[in-house]
Amino acid sequence: MKYNTVKAYMIKEFKELVRTKLIILVYLLPSMIVIIFGYGIRLDVTHARLIIIDNDKSKISQMLSSKFEHTKYFDTIESNMNEKQALRRIKQAKTDAILIIPNSFEKNLLKGQKSELGVFVDGAFPTRGTTIQTYIEGTILSLVQKVLQAKGIQQKKLISINNRNLFNQSMRDENAIVPGIIGLVLLIAPAIIAALLIVKEKEKGTIFNFYASSLSKNEFLAAKLIPVFLLHSLNIFILFLIAVYLFNIPFRGNFLLYWLASELYILVSISLGMLISVITKKQIVAVVLTIIITVIPGFLYSGIIMPISSMDGVSQVEAHIFPVMYYNHIVYDTFLIGQGFHSQINLLYLLILIIFSFVLFSAGRILLKKEMK
Amino acid sequence: MADLEVRNVTVKHKNLTAVSNISFEANKGEIIGFIGADGAGKSSLMHAIAGIIQFNGEISYNKYVYHSPKEAEKIKADISLMPQGIGLVLYDTLSVEEHLEFFADIRNINKDAKFLAYKEKLLHMSGLSNFTKRVAGNLSGGMMQKLSLICALLHRPKLLILDEPTTGVDPLSRIELWEILDTIRKEEGTIALVSTAYMQEAEKMDKIVLFDEGSIIAQGTSKTLIDSIRPFTYQEITEYKEDIITFDKHSYSLTPQKYEKSEPNLEGLFFINALKNNKTLPIVDIGQRKSSDEIPAMIMQAHGLTKRFGDFIANDHVDITLKSGEILGLLGANGAGKTTFIKMLLGLYPIDGGELKLLGKTIKNANDRMELKSKIGYVSQHFALYNDMTVRENLLYFANMHKIPLSSALQRIKRYSQELGFDKYMDKFPTEIPLGVNQRFSIAAALLHEPVVLFLDEPTSGVDTIARAQFWQILHKLKKKWGISILITTHYMSEAEYCDKVVLLKQGKKIADDTVKNLHKLHPEAKTFEDIFLTYFKEKQ
Repeated sequence: MKYNTVKAYMIKEFKELVRTKLIILVYLLPSMIVIIFGYGIRLDVTHARLIIIDNDKSKISQMLSSKFEHTKYFDTIESNMNEKQALRRIKQAKTDAILIIPNSFEKNLLKGQKSELGVFVDGAFPTRGTTIQTYIEGTILSLVQKVLQAKGIQQKKLISINNRNLFNQSMRDENAIVPGIIGLVLLIAPAIIAALLIVKEKEKGTIFNFYASSLSKNEFLAAKLIPVFLLHSLNIFILFLIAVYLFNIPFRGNFLLYWLASELYILVSISLGMLISVITKKQIVAVVLTIIITVIPGFLYSGIIMPISSMDGVSQVEAHIFPVMYYNHIVYDTFLIGQGFHSQINLLYLLILIIFSFVLFSAGRILLKKEMK
Repeated sequence: MADLEVRNVTVKHKNLTAVSNISFEANKGEIIGFIGADGAGKSSLMHAIAGIIQFNGEISYNKYVYHSPKEAEKIKADISLMPQGIGLVLYDTLSVEEHLEFFADIRNINKDAKFLAYKEKLLHMSGLSNFTKRVAGNLSGGMMQKLSLICALLHRPKLLILDEPTTGVDPLSRIELWEILDTIRKEEGTIALVSTAYMQEAEKMDKIVLFDEGSIIAQGTSKTLIDSIRPFTYQEITEYKEDIITFDKHSYSLTPQKYEKSEPNLEGLFFINALKNNKTLPIVDIGQRKSSDEIPAMIMQAHGLTKRFGDFIANDHVDITLKSGEILGLLGANGAGKTTFIKMLLGLYPIDGGELKLLGKTIKNANDRMELKSKIGYVSQHFALYNDMTVRENLLYFANMHKIPLSSALQRIKRYSQELGFDKYMDKFPTEIPLGVNQRFSIAAALLHEPVVLFLDEPTSGVDTIARAQFWQILHKLKKKWGISILITTHYMSEAEYCDKVVLLKQGKKIADDTVKNLHKLHPEAKTFEDIFLTYFKEKQ
């Protein structure tokens, strides 16, 4: 390894990154994604528009209505319209849900008889629909339970709802999403830059400077990858600051673990980008390929949309193929749980990240040839 | 034993053989010239010698024998390769100074006083001393090539491989490039392998290797090569015979003819080789046109035409007129503004200033052009053909675009394919057939609607000598039979000889505009057109 040569090549890479303005992509893109997604993704529902058709007009039915009125989750309208009219409102997307209280609701309830409430939910967005439905059911059941207990009527069929959430007691979406996005961003951004590095020279023709000189493969790769690695390492801290200070995410774990895992993870991402850069011939192909390989699995298996443990079959297996799951486990641990180096899983996952970067880097290095194809 | 020996080298790209069984030798301080058309295998051989592509056979340099890129790794410190393409190895955002710095560093050069003096000398020779702060992206084509060359020379290579360093470069820069090369090889004893598309440059080479379709057809000094074909070269023979090829005031024949002999040139070697392989020029013949539109006397009048791209002025107040039945050559180096001018004529670029009259009509907006489109034929640089359609399908597509009824379209396609000699390629894809054939069928596509004027953008670039000869024959026949006017751009100064009138562009400005005859009269001392243009280039410096 001729260090002067590598240094000179690295300086050239830095200059090019700055002058071609790719540096903006290095620093703007990750922060932008975290901020946009952090604010943008909302999995819980607030201010759902609910029409309550109270046919009973009894004490209990009024209690129920007022309970819906006094929560941030619903914006309620009490109305006398008939069912058909109300359903039309859903079709027109003017309301999200309808609750119909039958006319003998109170009477049946106090007698311990069954009574049927009508709940209609706009299911156009299934997750949102299910969430609204759960909220409505929860609200009704908890009220009914309270009323019956006060009257001393035993009703075994009533379900008790425990809405206490572990690790995210405040039920804040940001806590669940922002750390996951860090895992997504640190997979995509370094990979895109790394994917451009070699293929860019192939497309322009400057790759001949490498082919025809005595520069070795190791020197070339070192000169190409070290600048990206160093530049992106800064992102680890920037993203941490955004998470903790902009989104007020608690940080309960070990910072050293977070930093170490992130550096390894960037190494995985850069090695993946380099591998793509080695096998492609055009920049556009390299970028599209990188995005497909990183964004889709990165998003699906980051644990943002669905916890890995609740996946089954093929998706379980797939989740384990991509590095994002391992890194995100560690990131969630450092932010929300805090077991740090005491957790054996964390240590195992660190090791897996090392293996990932080693395998990807080796594959790229073997496939890189100092000759034309 | 020679310093560089290439023995039985074959290079394959997947299943295609680029060069087969090449052998030649070179010694210290020699310039070896590779001459041949695009696709003749020059670049592939250079890549093999530079050790950057797999090959069969063996190459020995200074008694070190290598058979693969891996084995060549050991001598790469001694080699320098400048691949084909203007400014190909330069980084657009780095300055001249930064390039020299970078190339010195990747070659691990010790930056002592001796190196600095050498570097200054190279900068001085290339005339780049005053531009050290300028980034490569803003250099002219000629400057880029000079910078690439001095970057390649920085580590004092013993084996210098230059792949078409002068193609598309302005004549003055070309002379400077050769001067640098000549000085360095004498001082350093460098072996220089240089490929070129310009026959005139052959004089500057110690030995010439002529390539055709992947093999060497002749090698030797310029003099011995020319001597070898002297017995077969005659003055222009007007009579048509099967075994005679006539082009550019020379006729070639292997069988003795009763005509006067004439002084041969290197191009003749390609014709003689064609004759030896029983390849004669198929006769091209153009039938009369079917439509009989009245053709105005003035085809195109451009007055003060200007085009700007940001701060860069691509065409600066250019006045050009094209008369009926005239072949006008628009000459200039890459980046001189030839293509921009044609694109303005066609309305592919909006005009930023000046006045344009086409076929007697002043062009103000796109609507003015609509009715003219049926009278204009255009062949773009690199021929805009669809590579996944056969020749026949391509031609039918073009006929459809011009709304030619199917029956007459089929008839015309059949006629042209026979007349221009590409009928046996009709069901092949453009990628499978030689560049010269693509060129002829692109012309056919542009002629389908029987235009009165043809705009041709660098149609002869990279095409082999014989195909070029044929192409010019077609153009002359078209002019004669159809009375068509042709505006053709080219960076081969020698092609000016075949035009009626030439316009020379330099950095967007017109520096010469006259008939070919007049120019020769004005410059009786000039041997070739190249010399004439050089005087204009120097004048406007």
